[in-house]
Amino acid sequence: MLEFIFLLPILLGGTAMFLPVMLGRGILIVAALLHLQLTVMGWMGTLTPHFPEYFNSSPEGMLVLLVTSFIFLFIAVYAISYMNETEMQSEPIFISCMLMFLGTMSMATLADHPIVLWIAIEATTLVSAPLIFINRSKEALEATWKYVLICSVGIALALLGCFFITLAMDIKDIDAPLTFSSLNAVAGQLDPTWLKAGFIFVMIGFGTKMGLAPMHTWLPDAHSQAPSPASALLSGALLNCAFLGIYKVHTLMYIAGLGAYSSNILIGFGLVSMLVAGIFILNQPDYKRMLAYSSVENMGVIAFGVGIGGIALYGAILHLIHHSLIKSSLFLSAGNILLGFGSRLVNKTGNLARLFPKTFVSFFAGFAGVSGFPPFGIFISELLIIMGAFQAGRFGVMAVFIFCLILVFAGAARIVMRISFASASEEILVEERLFRVLPPYALLLTSIGLCIWMPDSIYEVILNTIKVLGGSFHG
Amino acid sequence: MINYADAILVVILLSVLLSLESNRLIALVKIMGLQGIMVSLVPLFLEQHSNLSSGGLIFFQIMILVKGLLIPGLLYFAVQRVAIKREVEPIIGYHASLFAGLGMILVSLFITDKLQVSLPGGHTLLLITAITTLGAGLFLMMSRTKAITQVIGYLMLENGIYLVGTALTKQSHTRYVVEFGVLLDVLVGVMIMGIILHNINHAFDDVDTGLLGRLKD
Repeated sequence: MLEFIFLLPILLGGTAMFLPVMLGRGILIVAALLHLQLTVMGWMGTLTPHFPEYFNSSPEGMLVLLVTSFIFLFIAVYAISYMNETEMQSEPIFISCMLMFLGTMSMATLADHPIVLWIAIEATTLVSAPLIFINRSKEALEATWKYVLICSVGIALALLGCFFITLAMDIKDIDAPLTFSSLNAVAGQLDPTWLKAGFIFVMIGFGTKMGLAPMHTWLPDAHSQAPSPASALLSGALLNCAFLGIYKVHTLMYIAGLGAYSSNILIGFGLVSMLVAGIFILNQPDYKRMLAYSSVENMGVIAFGVGIGGIALYGAILHLIHHSLIKSSLFLSAGNILLGFGSRLVNKTGNLARLFPKTFVSFFAGFAGVSGFPPFGIFISELLIIMGAFQAGRFGVMAVFIFCLILVFAGAARIVMRISFASASEEILVEERLFRVLPPYALLLTSIGLCIWMPDSIYEVILNTIKVLGGSFHG
Repeated sequence: MINYADAILVVILLSVLLSLESNRLIALVKIMGLQGIMVSLVPLFLEQHSNLSSGGLIFFQIMILVKGLLIPGLLYFAVQRVAIKREVEPIIGYHASLFAGLGMILVSLFITDKLQVSLPGGHTLLLITAITTLGAGLFLMMSRTKAITQVIGYLMLENGIYLVGTALTKQSHTRYVVEFGVLLDVLVGVMIMGIILHNINHAFDDVDTGLLGRLKD
């Protein structure tokens, strides 16, 4: 039963709320392992959906699910060590919400019905809000309030978009079940005007959740205020799930022959996001906010790549995988820095290379990775996207794209250099521990590993994902 | 013969205008209660929904309970709890808001007129009301500073979206799922926001979102 993949974490999360702390930590790890196992079983096709009209495995969904499940395992390991060393208020709530967050995200990846997908995304907002608020500071409260309010409005508009898509079917008197697979089958007969309206609303709605500018305003606050394991999960997993909603409707648009329209919107939002992130990153005093803006930029890269199509589409999907791995690793390293120096401000940190050598390696390597240096995967994905734009002959947008990449690199480099090498007080609040250092390393090594050797099954699933949109590895 | 659906829609329009003009929070909550009941009654009086199954009836009862009683009740509780005696402090004044509301009706009329070509017929007033409610909800969220008024604005936005949903979709495929979605959204959104409101009160001695300005670039 395919639904076990999301039912398991939700149920375990529900029980963890009422269990003693130590048992809850055990459940976190066990749930992460079981979830990964179920995901792999889902990949091998041994699980069949019990409610095929609502849930089904789509290649893009399975890809996001695998990434989510994989990074969750490492984040869970980190979170346990993190909870050990910080005095977290209401730890059972934290563990429970982490698990339910995993569950709702898995539900979003498996949903085949637009409304079910929408409910799942809405549910992710609800269960992740307590994660941001867990520190109960005024700043955390403000971040949570903005997160809930802005994302609720976004999600409400996405629902409107779903209604319009339904209407596009009703107007032409098409009697097909309302699932993405059956919609794709009848896409040619749908009413184009309402489909376009639907896409715009879905784009704005899920784009809010995905962190595309100018609807990104909640993202830097939420990502900087949440405890580091939660930030890693928000950035590495949640944004992908919201992207999935846009991607599915974009696929529908493409099959309906409106691909040029939706592509241009995606390219526009992508470039605006990258530009906004580049501008805000330049003088950023807070390193967790810097990472959050970097997420905005990378979501922009993905939207841009999907909009360009062809080989850039392959690049975009690759970018999604590697961004999740590297960015969650960076947030975990940033968590170590935050514990060590006790401040989010760049000015209060320094000399990371000598004080925390292990964290320095993972943080610096992560920075190199997210900036697009080899041997990390983002190098390949961004290269492919640029090549795709080149092949498509869109030189203007390609120039803006490259300019934004440079802008973000310049801003981030200043901050990372400052943290790593500037002189600072020798005071260390919390030492770096093995289990808080290993997960970021493992995630980075996975990114390198995937560049050297990509398992055939993953390669095939990526090709299956982009085949529908006319993308391929060979341009 | 009176057209009940149109009468209800007029009441909804009136409640929208009233809420834009109202400066007392308690009154605003009561207006929202009325609006909630009216909005959930609309589908009952529409022709394409006239043959109701028993499951459908239960759904409408739940809708009325949630939109008309539960959520306004929670809001009422929240207003009492945070003890706001002061009136709403608008960014845009009450008369200007009212004027904007009237303008929104005109704009909705225009939009509906434009869309008419591709709509299942007979829903002119319904769509006008829906778009006005939606727009006024967004307007209320943007033009008021109190956290609780923003929640009320969000509620109105939700009501508008529900009306758009009933106006536009035929109920054959998706009825239950669509309505379930809205219910979940309204219910949980307000609950969470209510809890947060409670905490905002503790943290700031006020529920003015203008105080939420620490995090910015």
